This record gives sequence, C-alpha cells and structure tokens, in this order.
Amino acid sequence: MRRAGLRTRVSAAFAVGALALSAGVTFVSYELISNTLFRERERAAVRATYFDAAAINGGLGGSSPDVGELLQSLDIGADRYVLLQRQGQWYSRSAGPAASNAVPQPLQEMAASGEAGAQRIRRDGEAALVVAVPVQGAGVFYEIVSLGELERTLQLLALVLTAVAIMVSAGGAAVGWYVTRHALRPLAAVAEAASGIAEGDFDTRLDPDAEPDLARLTSSFNHMADELSRRLQRDRRFAADVSHELRSPLQTLAAAVSVLNRRRDSLDERSAAAVGLIADEVARFQALVDDLLELARSDQPAHLEQADIGLLVGRVLSSRNLPADLMRTEPGTPVDWHVDRRRVEQALGNLLDNAVRYGGGPVAVRVGPGFLEVDDAGPGVPDEARATIFDRFVRGPAANARGGGDGTGLGLSIVAEHAAAHGGKASLTDRPGGGARFRIDLPMR
Amino acid sequence: MSAVLLIEDDDRIRLSLAMALEDEGYQTHAVATAEEGLEMQRRQPADTVLVDLMLPGMDGFECIRQLRRTDDVPIVVVSARDDTHDIVAGLEAGADDYVVKPVAVKELAARLRALRRRGRAAASATPAVTVLTFGDLEIRPEAGEVRLHGEAVAVTRTEFRLLCELAEHPGQVLSRQQLLSRVWEYEIGDERLVDVHVGRLRHKIEDSAGKPKHLVTVRGLGYKLQP
Repeated sequence: MRRAGLRTRVSAAFAVGALALSAGVTFVSYELISNTLFRERERAAVRATYFDAAAINGGLGGSSPDVGELLQSLDIGADRYVLLQRQGQWYSRSAGPAASNAVPQPLQEMAASGEAGAQRIRRDGEAALVVAVPVQGAGVFYEIVSLGELERTLQLLALVLTAVAIMVSAGGAAVGWYVTRHALRPLAAVAEAASGIAEGDFDTRLDPDAEPDLARLTSSFNHMADELSRRLQRDRRFAADVSHELRSPLQTLAAAVSVLNRRRDSLDERSAAAVGLIADEVARFQALVDDLLELARSDQPAHLEQADIGLLVGRVLSSRNLPADLMRTEPGTPVDWHVDRRRVEQALGNLLDNAVRYGGGPVAVRVGPGFLEVDDAGPGVPDEARATIFDRFVRGPAANARGGGDGTGLGLSIVAEHAAAHGGKASLTDRPGGGARFRIDLPMR
Repeated sequence: MSAVLLIEDDDRIRLSLAMALEDEGYQTHAVATAEEGLEMQRRQPADTVLVDLMLPGMDGFECIRQLRRTDDVPIVVVSARDDTHDIVAGLEAGADDYVVKPVAVKELAARLRALRRRGRAAASATPAVTVLTFGDLEIRPEAGEVRLHGEAVAVTRTEFRLLCELAEHPGQVLSRQQLLSRVWEYEIGDERLVDVHVGRLRHKIEDSAGKPKHLVTVRGLGYKLQP
C-alpha cells in the first residue's frame, strides 16, 4: 500500500490532536457543569423540603389536623410534588397515590427510622430527586423534585459541546493542510532546482536567504550542486587532457608510419610486414581514441536541429563509398527530422561500417517514420550474443572470428548512446531472408 | 612544387609531419613558434599554412590574426583540441579549415589539395568578363575581386569561393551541407565552418554585420545572397 502523503499525514495528526484536546476539554467541562448544577439543584430542593417539612410539622402539632389541607397550603411550583406518609397512609395534594410508588423502598425504610435523606430516581422518563424528612407522629414528608428541565439543559449543552469539538478538529485538519502547504512551498523550489540539475543545468542554485528555516537544506543542496559541477568539470578537463596527451603522440605515430609505409617496397619482407602491422594498429588506435572520447562525451544532450533525413543518409552512404540506391524510404516518412545531425550520421556510419566489416556488407538502409535500419548480408547474430552486442568492448562472434577484428569494439555502443541521447534506442533483429537488421529508433517530435 | 608552412611546437610531430608532407609532394617549412612562422612567411611565402593552436609565446589564434593582416593564404588549424570553443575561435581568427589531431596524412593532403583548388580557382587572373552585381556589391569571379560601394574588399580565398558559390545562385538558398561540399569538398563536415565564414564575410560585405542585407540566413535551410 502506498504511504499517505506528508500533507495528509500532518493534517490527520492535526485533526486527531485537535479532536483529543477539544473532546477532553468538552468532557471535563460537561462533567463539572452538570455536577455543579445537580448539586446546586439538590441543595435547593433539600432546603425547600426542610422548609416545607417545618410547616407540616407545625400543622401536625395541632389537634386533628387535616393533612390534605396542610399539603394544599404549601407553596410549591409545577416541578415539585409533595407526599406525606403517616401511619402507613399516603397523602398527596392531588388524588392518586401512584406517586408514592416512585419513592424507593430503601429511602422509605431509612426515613421510617427517623433519618432524613435524598435519592435521585427516574420518574416518567425524567430525572427526579426524592427528599425525605421525618415529621411528627412517625410520619415522613417526601418531596419529589423533577430534574427534567435541568436534564434538558444539560443535553443541549452536551450537543453544543460535541458540535464544537467536531468543528475544532475539522479546523485542526484545515490548519494542518494550510500549514504544510506553506511549509512545503520552499521544497517546491528545491525540487525544481534538482530537476534542473538532472537535465544538465549545473548552474542551478537555491537562494540561501529565501527560507532561513531551510538554511541547512539549501546549503547542503548548493554544496552538492557545487561538488557535482566541480566533479563534472574535473572529468571534462581530464577527458580533454587525456585527449590532448593521447592525440599528440598519435599524430607523430600516424605521420611517421605513413613515411615508413611509403617505403615498404624498399624494406625487407619482415620489416615491411612489421611496418604494415604498425600502420594498421596506429589507425585502429586512432579510431579507438576517437571512439573513447566520443563515449566520454556521449552523456551530453543532443544538439537537435532540423535535418533532411534523405540527404543525411545519402551523405553517409557516399562517405563510405556505398551506392546511394541502398536507401529505401518507407511511405509516410517525413522529410525533415529533428535530430542531432552529427550524432545520427556517426551512428548510421558505425552501423554501415559494422555491416561492411562483419556482415558481408549492407544490403539495404531502410528509412521509416522515426527509425533507421541497416540490413546486412551476413550470417546474422546468434541469440546469446545479442544481449551484450551494444556493450562496450564487446565483439560479436563475427568480429572474434577475424582475430579481434579491425574495429574498436566501441562502434555499436556509440550507436546505442547516440540513440539514447535522442530518447530512442538501438536494437537488433533478424532480417527476413537471413542476415542481421540493426535498428535505431529516434522518437519524432 | 607547392610549399607548406608548418607551425608546430612539438618537435616529434613537426619532424614526422614534415617528412610525411614531403612524401606527399609538398615543400615544407617547419618552425616551432608563431614568431618564426610569421618571419618565415614574410621571407618565403608558402601556399598553405598549417598551424597548431597551443604554441609557446604567441599562440595560434594570434598567429592566424597576424597572418591574415597581410595574407589571404589558406590556413588550416591542426590541433589536438576539439572543443567547440577552440574550433570556432580558430576559424573566427581567420583560419579556413580545422583538423583535429591525429589526422591521417592522406586526409591532410586531401584537405590541402581542396584548399589549393579553391585558391587556384580564385587566383586564375584572366581579364574580368563577368560581373555579378547585388545592389552595391560587385563580384568578379574571374578577377577574384569583390567591391562594396565601388571599393575593393579584401577577402580570403575561401571567403571568396563561398561568396562566388552563393553569387552564382542569386536569390537561391544553399544549405550548409551544399556549401560544405562545394566550397570545402567535405562529404560529411562541420557546419560551423560555413557559419563562421559567413560571419566573417558579413563583416566585410555588409554595412552592418548584425543586420545583413546581402548575405542572409534562411532559418532551418541555409544562406542566400540577394541585392
């Protein structure tokens, strides 16, 4: 499973944190508020009950008191309900003894033993408080106070607090999203600079003053870029130095051997053979140095320009003294291609040289939309050699059969590098009817 | 026998190239420094100059510039340096061609022959019969003369050959490749040769090289000469 993005994770963490915090605060405050309110209400109820009980006590003190009258005389609101139990008899203001059922048994027993008490109950689906106060004559005065109003208030409070908690956590997520966007913004500049460097623009640097908090990243990035371009420069300088140091003695060799070669007829047989060997090897060495330097530079981007592909192929054929009618143009092939002319010429030239050396000569150069193919008349390339034939210094069996051949072993890898520089590739298949078919794909733009 | 001046500081290269060029039928004046080369060319002018770029004292670029002040002799840079900067700088200094060491002697001889053919074509001074006119620009191919506003303009032989090639196809676009093969006889060559020579020519035959009126670039195709 793919890991969620940094922004998603940070936002989620913000949301969870905000939720935990707000839920905690909400819970604690709800508990505090509800406890306080209940306690307050209870105290008030108890106080009122004692007051009423005192009035009842006074009333009961007289001779033959009318209990119903006494209860009626009490000043109670809508949410209070009074009861009197006396000598096993329940009295209430209104008819219907049902209310007495609401008084829990333990409370009755406790009150009967002469002790006052209070207990919370549920009555008609509402919270209520029963307060019991013993009165004269082994009676107990009860008041049932409805707590429904308070309960409804607390329910509303809980609802409001929950809504607030949800909103706070949503706000936390939004803040996380917003904050990460700001925090990640400087990284976009880093990403852009890194891709600039990957594309070969080694002068790309980050502005160290742009984001003080990312100073370390900026300075390490710039340091890396400096180091990279220094190394690249050193490599290039090395290649240039090697090039110069190899080319100069080779020039002497090339000139001197051509002087000797001219006089081969006047040399004895063995000397002439030795001179022939030297001349061949100098030529090969020369080609090797050129190919090596070409490979050393092959990572440079292709210098694309418009080129008439027919003329290009014609020039390469004529430079190899090959007949122009080898070229076959597929229908639908555009005339002008967008390519690095020099590199395509060299790649095609190398394929032709390869065909001449090892493939019995080219039989066709096919030009199609986005590809060039060179067919040869040789035995083809066996499967086991195909995977590595474009590698450096790898010679196919045909080249080995010629005692190392006169090639450099780099020709086909240069072809592959040049194709890759265009975003294409070099490949090898069988030509229908025998022989090898080397192909260069050059993506059309 | 035609003479070649070889300016090369590496003793072994100088010696071996001189021998090889003599085998190819050239009389070779080989010297080790630019100063000696300039002196030698004053005393005994050669038909072609081969010059290395990295020389002790005066470097190859300056040597080419000094030679060009008085001489339209074909100059070929023979250098181990092959980066674009050096090639363009050498050509801009006034060289006609550029070869990278190690160059096969046969290849070098072929280059020299191509340059000499160009030289001869321009130098065959028969009475001027043809005058190709492009507005205020006049070209006399047989006389090897270029006039701008009626005044003679000094061009090198390669520049002249390039100008004639364009002048013989008035208003027609010639691609860099066509010019390379017709003027330098390269089948596959470096198009920068053409570009740098066109740039040099513009400084001579245009009132403002930055805004060419006669020798114009046709984007993606090549160059053409127009009145």
